[in-house]
Amino acid sequence: MSTVLILAPVIISNWPAIAVAAAGAASALGFTIKQTAQEAIKQGQQTETEQNVELELAGSEVLAQGLATDQKMVLTKGSMQIVVERDARGRCKVCASGKGQSKAQLKQAAEEFTQKLTQCFIYDKVMRQLKGKSFQVVNEELMQDDSIRIHVRRWVD
Amino acid sequence: MAQHEVEITISRTGEVKVHVKGAKGKACLEYAKWLTEVVGRVKSQQNTNELYEPEVKSRIDLRQDLRVDDGSS
Repeated sequence: MSTVLILAPVIISNWPAIAVAAAGAASALGFTIKQTAQEAIKQGQQTETEQNVELELAGSEVLAQGLATDQKMVLTKGSMQIVVERDARGRCKVCASGKGQSKAQLKQAAEEFTQKLTQCFIYDKVMRQLKGKSFQVVNEELMQDDSIRIHVRRWVD
Repeated sequence: MAQHEVEITISRTGEVKVHVKGAKGKACLEYAKWLTEVVGRVKSQQNTNELYEPEVKSRIDLRQDLRVDDGSS
């Protein structure tokens, strides 16, 4: 053993990289990507009476580069809808809403999605960086607690 | 050549546990710094004795043959 680090994730990236992670999280949690930004805005006007819960990804920053002003991602699963977007302060925001869903259910869904998005984002970033440093993946497995364990190796002179 | 291994566990919340093996001294610290920049910020770090060992750059094998002269020759 040499050193063991525990690292807290920080999401600072441009929108395309966050959108890829959001799509990964959606797929893992059974959501489907539904609409374009324009349709989402229209839908938002129609569902004003629904309950909704908003969560912000702690320490996140969506870089304005490559981001249109109304760009967002709308995901649905049954009557549940999750919207991922960049808020006015540049933070990544997740909003869960849906007919017949309690605040607690929406909060739980938003938290679960936020965590999965963070995991997907960090996984993509770490794997890209490892490949860039010529590491070979020895083993990769999804554990029972939903964590991802990656074992990599490289030879150095 | 030295073998450097890293075991990375990404929890369901996105928190990352990194275990660097095989790399010693400066090399180990460089991996720790690099992965911190990739993921975010350090919550905790635990170093072990191997971290403080010097990196092995070269090795010389010395051998000495001992002969006992019993005076019979």
